[in-house]
Amino acid sequence: MIKASGLTKAFRTHSTEVLAVDCAHVEVKPGEFVLILGRSGSGKSTFLGMLAGLIRPTTGSVRIEGIEISNLSEDNIAELRAKKIGFVFQFSGLIPTLTALENVMLPTLFYKNGPGSRISAVELLRKVGMSEREDAYPRTLSSGEMKRVAIARALINKPALLIADEPTGDLDVDTEYEIMELFSLLNKEGMTIIMVTHNPDLVKYATRTYGMHKGKIQQNIGTVSFRKDQRE
Amino acid sequence: MNQTMDVGTFIFASIRNKPGRNLATAFCFAFIAANIFSAQVLMAGSAAGVERGLTRMGADQLVVPIEYMASFPASGSGNTVAIVRVDPSPFRFNASIMDSLGKVTGISGMSPQLYVTTLDLPEFSSSPVEIFGIDPLRDFTIQPWLRQPLNKPLGPDEIIVGDGINGEISSGISLNNHVYTIVGRLDPTQSASDQTLFLRLDDAYTFATAGRIGFPPQPQISRGDINAVLVRDSAGEDPHSVETRIRRSLSSSSAPKSGAVIGQHFALDPVSREMQDIPAILNIISVLVVIAALPLIALIAAMVAQERQREIGLLKSMGAKKKDIFFIVIAESLVLAATGGIAGVGASFAALFLLNMLGILNSALLVSFQMPASPDIGMMAGLALFVVIAIGTLSSLWPAYRSSTMNPYDAIRNE
Repeated sequence: MIKASGLTKAFRTHSTEVLAVDCAHVEVKPGEFVLILGRSGSGKSTFLGMLAGLIRPTTGSVRIEGIEISNLSEDNIAELRAKKIGFVFQFSGLIPTLTALENVMLPTLFYKNGPGSRISAVELLRKVGMSEREDAYPRTLSSGEMKRVAIARALINKPALLIADEPTGDLDVDTEYEIMELFSLLNKEGMTIIMVTHNPDLVKYATRTYGMHKGKIQQNIGTVSFRKDQRE
Repeated sequence: MNQTMDVGTFIFASIRNKPGRNLATAFCFAFIAANIFSAQVLMAGSAAGVERGLTRMGADQLVVPIEYMASFPASGSGNTVAIVRVDPSPFRFNASIMDSLGKVTGISGMSPQLYVTTLDLPEFSSSPVEIFGIDPLRDFTIQPWLRQPLNKPLGPDEIIVGDGINGEISSGISLNNHVYTIVGRLDPTQSASDQTLFLRLDDAYTFATAGRIGFPPQPQISRGDINAVLVRDSAGEDPHSVETRIRRSLSSSSAPKSGAVIGQHFALDPVSREMQDIPAILNIISVLVVIAALPLIALIAAMVAQERQREIGLLKSMGAKKKDIFFIVIAESLVLAATGGIAGVGASFAALFLLNMLGILNSALLVSFQMPASPDIGMMAGLALFVVIAIGTLSSLWPAYRSSTMNPYDAIRNE
């Protein structure tokens, strides 16, 4: 599904060079729910950005369904994102002047003749438990409801991969539970998910967990070892 | 219903997102459009007023029978009255005088006039009414004062009436048992022309013959008699030189010796130049407004693009390409420009219409303002809209480029 090899991202600040991601290798197979655990500043969001083609790696390669994206132009990567990747961010990112339904339909703007439509948007809102609120504007929705709409939006073009960057970071425990249950349901239905979080309690939802510490990926860590990392 | 999201919905939603800022931007566009549109209308309207005023300025020279000079000394050298209609006089000469005048260089027009008589017509005017004959095809002093131009030259049994004469257009006036149809009415001239009926020269001769009109010891008016020839100088000619040439022509052996020339001794040129300065000033103000507005709107557009970094990053994460972002930013600016432009043109048209109706434009511009015709107004509105849309496009080019090339992940995380 997606394979990252030797991914490195170096940022130059003044005279020093900071390695945000240091030679990371990850392979995610279809239907997996991969969690990348790491504390703030560990480089996990940068890593995620490189997987999605939002950030160009300094070195290394990313292949999505066999396509090497490092060699693609920015517009070709954008097209790939529109077709194959759904994004969920920590912030909802809903457009305040669009209704929930219109927000879900927004990605269809960039994937002409794709599978997304008004009908599928209604269906997705029903799936995330928001069918009663499809005409509601974001300001009238709770944080959890906004997140559900954002997840529906990420799925509208029927992507092969759902990437979530700290999707529960700003939620209370109950809402976090609801959202993770939703992710879990989507994964059980076959959706491949890569999610980064700093919350080790979410490991139970994942089929595989990576740790990230100071830019380095740690393969298949458990919750205990991650907490040990955090204390260091 | 398998529809997808359309870009229009998104653009209008984005504009609604920041109503205050977008209203302010649209107001800027409205101000520019109003400025350009009103400047164009004022320029055209005042130019038409200047043109009309100049055509109504009358004759530059007046050729009259020599006896006239003795009877009307006030009309001699030093008069300050624009010559529109000669004063009633019993002294006449033959229209053949125009043959020799036609050979004088520096003359662009000659208009013969014949004073026929003065009548009491209480049903049409409380003052005595003077009757004049004119040559409609040569006349350049009476017909420019018509409230509505004639569709065709003044015909047989048709008359033009001064502003002080009662009677509707197309109604009849009976003179010596002959009915004439009113086909035109003059604007107020604040002169004796307001109490005058103007006939064709042919009709004037017929009228005079039927009424045996004459002014003893002068003989009865006969065909070919006229009281004066009103002369217009060619553009750029020195009136004094033309006057001298006419005088020389009249004193030559081949010309009838009964004519004298009265030069008009006040200058129109400085007045018309002042009038023509007004449109130029309006034009300069328009250009300055556009020059000042362009960077201002560009700055607003750049600020908007900066504010929307996260949104743009989000759109890119959804698969928006560079051209999609570029188009969205430009299109939003165009919508604001078009909306503001239409509002500005509409508001300034309403304001100009009202000011013109109240006569404020005339007094402010010091010219007789004439609202341009609808097709011209449409073209001016189109020009104003074109300019604001061009400004909207130009000013959003850089922000659109910057937004389209923005690193999406930085854009999302930097806010």
